[in-house]
Amino acid sequence: MFAMSTRTRIAAVGAMVSLLVGACGGAASPSPSPNPSAAGPSSEASANASASPAAPSPTPYAGPATTIEYSIWGDPTELKNQQAIVNSFHAAEPRITVKVTVSDWEPYWDKLQTLLAGGAAPDVFAMDGPLFPDYAGRDVLLDLSSYIQAESYPLSSLADLAVKDFATSDGRQMGLPRDLNVIALFYNKKMFDAAGIPYPDDSWDWNKLIEVGKKLTLDKNKDGKIDQWGLYTETTDMENYWSSLVWQNGGDILAPDGKTTVLDSPGATGGLQFLQDLIWKHKIVPDPALFAETGDAFEQGKAAMEINGSWLVATDEAAGLSFGIAPIPAGPAGRVTSINPTGAVVYKGTKSPDAAWVFVKYLASPAAQQKIMALKASLPVNKEVLAGPYSTSFDGAKVLADALAYAHIKPSFKGYNEFTTELQAELDEHVFNAPDESAAEAVAKVKDKLNSILASQ
Amino acid sequence: MTARAAPTSSGQARRRSPLAAESRWAWLFLAPTLIGLAILSAGPIIAAFAISLTKWDLLTAPKFVGLDNFAALLADHRFQTAIRNTVFYTVTSVPIGLVIGLGLALALNQRLRGIAWIRTAYFLPVVTSTVAISLVWSWIYSPDSGPLNAVLGFIGLPPQKWITDPFWAMPSIVAMSVWQGLGTTVIIFLAGLQAIPQEYLDAASVDGAGAWARFRNVTLPLLTPSIFFTGILALIDSFQVFDQIYVLARPGRPSDATVTLVYTIYENGFQNFKMGYAAAAAWILFLIVAVLTIVYFRLQNRWVHYQ
Repeated sequence: MFAMSTRTRIAAVGAMVSLLVGACGGAASPSPSPNPSAAGPSSEASANASASPAAPSPTPYAGPATTIEYSIWGDPTELKNQQAIVNSFHAAEPRITVKVTVSDWEPYWDKLQTLLAGGAAPDVFAMDGPLFPDYAGRDVLLDLSSYIQAESYPLSSLADLAVKDFATSDGRQMGLPRDLNVIALFYNKKMFDAAGIPYPDDSWDWNKLIEVGKKLTLDKNKDGKIDQWGLYTETTDMENYWSSLVWQNGGDILAPDGKTTVLDSPGATGGLQFLQDLIWKHKIVPDPALFAETGDAFEQGKAAMEINGSWLVATDEAAGLSFGIAPIPAGPAGRVTSINPTGAVVYKGTKSPDAAWVFVKYLASPAAQQKIMALKASLPVNKEVLAGPYSTSFDGAKVLADALAYAHIKPSFKGYNEFTTELQAELDEHVFNAPDESAAEAVAKVKDKLNSILASQ
Repeated sequence: MTARAAPTSSGQARRRSPLAAESRWAWLFLAPTLIGLAILSAGPIIAAFAISLTKWDLLTAPKFVGLDNFAALLADHRFQTAIRNTVFYTVTSVPIGLVIGLGLALALNQRLRGIAWIRTAYFLPVVTSTVAISLVWSWIYSPDSGPLNAVLGFIGLPPQKWITDPFWAMPSIVAMSVWQGLGTTVIIFLAGLQAIPQEYLDAASVDGAGAWARFRNVTLPLLTPSIFFTGILALIDSFQVFDQIYVLARPGRPSDATVTLVYTIYENGFQNFKMGYAAAAAWILFLIVAVLTIVYFRLQNRWVHYQ
């Protein structure tokens, strides 16, 4: 009896991986539609003929009535927001019903991979810019180029960097951007007013950030513990701040050909070092451990500034903060910030490619983009909306929209997750949480491993 | 079937034999378990081994690479770290859990008013989801506002960064897991304690044995089957530690200090598109646990006393 229960338990883990794959492969038929007519022969024929869509229709969708599944990551608020967009889509295209499914960030990718492996993936799903090459390079996404050509779809109406992020290196467009986020400086107006310091503006550079940061780092009750930090940021992902610092110091993460890392150049390590110095030398950014469990110090009113993504607008407003937005402070090599788009891609095995394309197109249309704009959790990607209504939609929106002009796209390459896990583990332990170690030494230690990960893709 | 169809006398005899009938029933009752084991356990184990011999990203066709994955794993720094961390977790959490569990079971093996409620309280963490427990403990461990540092400060000890400190990260997770697993250990030990006949203890008392001598020479030896059983469960469980790490070892925490075997399997399979590599790691885990289990069973007649 012991032996048997032992074996069962071992098996549970020993075979976890294949069990999941196997189960998904055999599970539910890939048809996303409860309506039998939806998966009829005509839509299957069009799936096979998707290389040359017969009847390109700008408006409205003329194919058979169908139901498609649209998967996103996010929380209940995100689901509600996307559902609102989907509802207006259904009003415009009554023949297409979209079923939205949502998961948290990590399970989203686990689930997506098993569904793809089992041939039961959602028809349309959200794609993170940096992870796009890992999926595009594995032949699971539908090439939208033929639709784009047939309809002369104006890709130039969308933010160029974001469009490019969903194209392969040989120019196949395998998704459209849906929204994007950009990194900027957020400041607490009350704390600046209390200290009599003018609000940050586009004249700010690293030195000014340190100078004001020191003035705003306060131990108000003199108990030896800081209760107002000059600046808060997150160190756990390059996007939050450190990739911008690397670029602002003349460095980069990958070589132009994408085959090796150049993070060991003095420019790059100098950028990383600057963030370590803000924490441990200038002591204006809290030790990352302090807020690791409790979250954003700026949102909690415990920091005067935060450098982070545009997603903060919605959460800081919800937290009732009186805040302003300024451009990210410039470094020795100028002002550079990071943008990261989220896109919508189509599963190659979808039964309704035409309907999926119509929906993906709708997500990037002015109508849907205005809804995204109103949520303030990210920026629209449609240039018309971005330059027009968005820029005046709230105080600071123009700063975010203008930041696209000096933004770099978040690095995106095959093996992104493995590369960043290795790199970030090293940086967390030996740079951002380690007062006595240097960024140059840490990067030198992982460089070979990082290059071997890039080489093995 | 054939026996039934054959109109021979031997067939008749076999059908009438009570033993044959019984064994048919036995197989019938065993069938659900056997089929389940074959499909849900043996199949995947074999499939995982096949996958481990390939380079497979889940999405495109697998490529046979022989034992390359195993060779690469043995040279993989993160995998070695994961083995070290998992062994550390096991050699600390298993004995500590057993000793504290035994102490608690002895304390709870009393006829007191409300003892059932107290026993229930100790069992609650077992039925609570690990994710919920991990989130509560991450607050307990919070360096800035967590109660643990507040208590330390009260008794004059310096605050620690717990799960964000590479030194304390794993011990912090061990402490949480021991606390969470105590209920199971205590329940099994309590059952073991209550199965010990009172006459043995009385006889020992008559012979002049004190409380310690009664525990050492009567209770403990008779409890060894329970210790053996909880030991093997804890050993296997601890090699499979995952949920706690998944929730507590968030980005920014010292992941090299907390990464475990099953976590690297997850990481490689589902984040790095290396399912073949992950399957190879799963097989190494399987072999480690299998060898330990066999050794553990072999050693049992040296210290386990059945009544």
